[in-house]
Amino acid sequence: MGTKGRRFAADIAGPAAISIGMIVLWEVIVRALHIRSIILPPPSEIIMAMVDRRDLLLTHLWPSLYLTVLGFALSVVGGVAVAILITYSAALRKGFYPIIIVSQVIPKISIAPLFIVWFGTGTMSSLLLAFLIAFFPMTINSALGFQSIDEDIARMARTFMASDWQVFWKIRMPNALPYIFSGMKISITLAIIGVIVSEFVASQEGIGYLIKLAGGLLDTPLMMAAITVLSIAGLILYGLIAHFERRVVYWQSSSDISGSGGG
Amino acid sequence: MAPVSQTKEMPAAVRALPALSVRKVRKLYNELEAIKNVSLEVAQNEFVSLLGPSGCGKSTLLTMIAGLLKQTEGEISINGTPVTGPRPEIGMVFQQPVLLPWRTILDNVLFPVELLKLPRDKYVPRAMELLAMAKIDDFAGSLPRQLSGGMRQRASICRALVHDPAILLMDEPFSALDALTRDEMGVELLRIWQANRKTVVFVTHSIREAAFLSDRVVVMGRRPATIVEEMTIDLPRPRQISLTEDENFNRYVRALRKAIEASHGH
Ligand SMILES: Nc1ncnc2c1ncn2[C@@H]1O[C@H](COP(=O)(O)OP(=O)(O)OP(=O)(O)O)[C@@H](O)[C@H]1O
Ligand SMILES: [Mg+2]
Repeated sequence: MGTKGRRFAADIAGPAAISIGMIVLWEVIVRALHIRSIILPPPSEIIMAMVDRRDLLLTHLWPSLYLTVLGFALSVVGGVAVAILITYSAALRKGFYPIIIVSQVIPKISIAPLFIVWFGTGTMSSLLLAFLIAFFPMTINSALGFQSIDEDIARMARTFMASDWQVFWKIRMPNALPYIFSGMKISITLAIIGVIVSEFVASQEGIGYLIKLAGGLLDTPLMMAAITVLSIAGLILYGLIAHFERRVVYWQSSSDISGSGGG
Repeated sequence: MAPVSQTKEMPAAVRALPALSVRKVRKLYNELEAIKNVSLEVAQNEFVSLLGPSGCGKSTLLTMIAGLLKQTEGEISINGTPVTGPRPEIGMVFQQPVLLPWRTILDNVLFPVELLKLPRDKYVPRAMELLAMAKIDDFAGSLPRQLSGGMRQRASICRALVHDPAILLMDEPFSALDALTRDEMGVELLRIWQANRKTVVFVTHSIREAAFLSDRVVVMGRRPATIVEEMTIDLPRPRQISLTEDENFNRYVRALRKAIEASHGH
């Protein structure tokens, strides 16, 4: 019980106190210095904007969220599939790696305008951009997970006559899970960026569009409310993945900490 | 304690055969001659240790017996059948426990059963009995990281025995453990072996360990390996750790040390 309480203090109460302190400080400074709300609105005004304009915010949040999750899901499925292919085919591996390396160097969001030319100013461009930039870290991480099998484990499995199929399901797959989850945590963030950037460039809806619109109207409180909503949505998505990770990858060291706390 | 498994009824012809026979085996790794010429016969249920300097080819020999590596010349056979690849009659214990971190201890022990597509349900009681014998049955549902190094290695011995292999190959299984745990593990191994008679080929660097455990100790020379000495350890079983105080035991240890020094030429 005592350790649990201490852990709560360290994990939640501490960071929360610091965040609240900073928000209060922000409020006090903005009011004390009479900073205009076009430049920097105080937190209270942002919160008020979030409450007053919640319908507008939600209307624009849903399409962004939907495209983010869809693009992310496609990148996970595609990334894991390609990772399996390049794990088992040396030819594909040789073919894919240059593309993967080049893709690491190109800032992928710079091709957003190109996507608009190709796929128009709609959901398709946003979805594809989200998918594209989330796909590569997914592939790289998963491929690493499928391939980085401990040599001793591989030898042990061969001694006990494991078939390739058994090695895949009973060793490579579980071995890859932690890597897949780290890939997912990177990819979800990138999928959000992909959708928002594509909405900046050309779209009539979505949180990215709303941020740009509010900026054009010099409605800074609305803009910051939209950014806040987007951040909260991003945190929730990330938190969901982290939550599943703890359940699926139960043997990993994150639970080591809780294990040692019990002692 | 009831034995976990009775030695399977073998036809007389098989019983008469050596469990393992290594004939004039030579192994080249490209240019490098790891094993020059090794011949070795191990009788059914015999406990044989291979003793030799680092890099002399002990692991290489064991890997070939396990069917994971092909010898360059010569023949290896198990119960009269030449080894051409991994086979279910082999159980292997490695220097490290090599447990799968995502599986519980029980599921790790049952891993060979799964791979060999044997009925899991039928083997759970056997796995539990082995764990009890290794005194880690309380940890059947734990993950490997919750166990100490010695407990993990005991689990890996249970894993090697679960499918009731005819031959147990052990490659320096206790060398990663501290000295006290190591002695204790030797006693444990003998206890399990006593209830679960197998042919054992045990690789070690430790003269005392070899003498304590074995029916026979085979000394290999420096690379390229040949067998330079064989010594039958005629000490009563079951053996307890107190045996190491015994003058007869120490006479064997001294004789082995002398044989090794003579062959290695210090
Ligand atoms: N896969 C390999 N390719 C090339 N050479 C190898 C390979 N495996 C082992 N060797 C060489 O063969 C020799 C014998 O190696 P081996 O691992 O069998 O020795 P060992 O007796 O088990 O040594 P140790 O007691 O240190 O474990 C060594 O010189 C080693 O460098
Ligand atoms: Mg070795």
